[in-house]
Amino acid sequence: MDSKMNLSRRQFIGVAGGIAGAAAIASIAFDAPAVVNKPDIDGSKFAQEKRELDVLVIGGGMAGLFAAVKAHDAGAKVLMVSKGRLGSSGLTPFAKGIFSYDKQNASMSIDEFVAKVSESAIQTNNPVFTRQLAEHSQARVEELKEWGFFDSPLYNHSFMRPMNERKIPLEERIMITHLLKQDGRIVGASGFSLDENKVIHYQAKSVILCTGSGGFKPNGFPMCDLTHDGTIMAYKAGAKVTGKEWNDGHPGSAVNSGSSYDNWHGQVEEKPSTTTITINHHLGMDLNYEGYKYGAPVTMGPPMRGKTGEVNNAKESAATESVIAQLMPAGPFTPEAFRMTSPPPPPSQGFLASLLSDKGHSGPPGMGGEQVGGSSAGMAIHKAEGLVPINEQGLSNLPGLYAAGDALGSYMSGGIYTQIGSSLAGSAVQGAIAGEAAAKESLNNDVKVDVSTAYLTKVSEEILAPLKRKRGYSPAWVTQVLQSVMIPNFVLYIKKERMMQGALAYIEELREHHVPMLLAKDLHSLRLAHETENMIITAEMKLKASMMRKESRCSHYRLDYPEIDYKNWQAWINIDQDENGEMRLQKQGFDQWPAFS
Amino acid sequence: MPIAEISGCIGCEACVKSCPTDVIQMNKVTNKAEIVYAEDCQICHLCRLYCPVGAITITPEKSIPVMVSWR
Repeated sequence: MDSKMNLSRRQFIGVAGGIAGAAAIASIAFDAPAVVNKPDIDGSKFAQEKRELDVLVIGGGMAGLFAAVKAHDAGAKVLMVSKGRLGSSGLTPFAKGIFSYDKQNASMSIDEFVAKVSESAIQTNNPVFTRQLAEHSQARVEELKEWGFFDSPLYNHSFMRPMNERKIPLEERIMITHLLKQDGRIVGASGFSLDENKVIHYQAKSVILCTGSGGFKPNGFPMCDLTHDGTIMAYKAGAKVTGKEWNDGHPGSAVNSGSSYDNWHGQVEEKPSTTTITINHHLGMDLNYEGYKYGAPVTMGPPMRGKTGEVNNAKESAATESVIAQLMPAGPFTPEAFRMTSPPPPPSQGFLASLLSDKGHSGPPGMGGEQVGGSSAGMAIHKAEGLVPINEQGLSNLPGLYAAGDALGSYMSGGIYTQIGSSLAGSAVQGAIAGEAAAKESLNNDVKVDVSTAYLTKVSEEILAPLKRKRGYSPAWVTQVLQSVMIPNFVLYIKKERMMQGALAYIEELREHHVPMLLAKDLHSLRLAHETENMIITAEMKLKASMMRKESRCSHYRLDYPEIDYKNWQAWINIDQDENGEMRLQKQGFDQWPAFS
Repeated sequence: MPIAEISGCIGCEACVKSCPTDVIQMNKVTNKAEIVYAEDCQICHLCRLYCPVGAITITPEKSIPVMVSWR
């Protein structure tokens, strides 16, 4: 192991407490003396390659798969590029339930389904996308069945089938960092290989971001490769971004909390299966609130359940809800129809049942055992953050740029996770729709993509800059500072104005001073350098959006504004750059979509 | 350690490709996979599951002690 990383557990736990720790970490994280950056590779000797296509799909998860397939089937020349491997990177490999709305046999009509989701989401969902999920999910599931998706726990083989059948080119282990812009239109993207010293420029009539969401490389959740890359490159190119105040509240196991596999109880080894209508108000802040208020660990279930010291004792002695309500402050609000009065019943069929019946498997994160928080820190609710769509095809405010899946801020479920299995299904549905739309538009327009060599040279220089710096900061150290500022539960989970202002001062310092000095010595750390920058800009967005939203609703909980504000906050928050390049936040009323304020 | 050992590698590169966080690389001399960036392992086990010969051993502890969970 790198001697610079050789920290004792005591030292690390000592700084885990929060913002005060960020300063401390600076003095202890690196006991080896700083040395001048001597890269293993020469940043001035990178090959430059070019590709030309109609539609470029960025990302190899569920959304990217359907985007590529449907764009191809609509007649476009398509290429997929992925930072990882098709079906084996991002969150897709770990999602095992996929929602399928059966129009003939569903327990409720589509109208009823949309209304129920809106009730759970306290109107934060966009009903256009909620409806789209229900209308198209079964068709996508049927296609997945044909490709063999449900026959194996590993998705690469079934995902490769439609790609191979159509001979769609696929380039893996390429990190895209820049979108290319020409006369206000997105006309491609550039990035670098993780295996060879080369920069690749993809020129395309349209681009579909299927880049997923991201986090702060938290421990215990399999998303350390997701750093909001797509969102941030789009933001830099002028796109509007939304949903940054929402939080995914997944807990992690108290035992081996650094292990994604153990937190998910081996779920990755299970074959996927379909889910039917089950609308919840899940992954909100109740568990995190309980952990904050009374300390860890906590257990999943209704408030007051579990081995949490005084809470547990109080619960055991409290016979009625009114007594409980007096003992415990209200905390995050759950709509009445979605409050659980008993622990969730064990599932009787499907993948959850097989997990629970298998010794050593006790279900997905949060099920079984003692829990601690912060496992998915930095991620919002699925489909609630990402590019602002201006139509139901997932087109962004930038012509030529589409997004689908977790990269699209569609608010399919709103600011809370509602329908079990809808995340994977929503990615499939949105990917297919964006793919077809992007292909049709590419074939019908007369855009002549002709990006100048000077422009591509400048992009290449920006990509390789961390390799050429002699002095600066390692991505690993800057990421550790970022984590120690952003992950503590009193910053983004239980929010307070003054604490967020304090955190923002750290983040702005990192963005202004440290990002321009990030170092890389090889292709791996070049990737980390770009990921670190993306996480820092995301942190700034999350803090500013969370400070702006002066109310509590769904997965956004403010201790200083604990109530829902129906008068002022029937609105989403969109973020973009103003004419001076400064981060700008604007409200968009729930009833205003797709218009902008 | 997270990903702890690769033993019996046949050089197929499945683990290199399936690792989401670029922890494993091919040794160009031996043509076998080796653990290069263990500190970035998220312990997701995809490499082990994609390995056709069961060559990979993984343990549940991070190489850098966990600092993020609040307890």
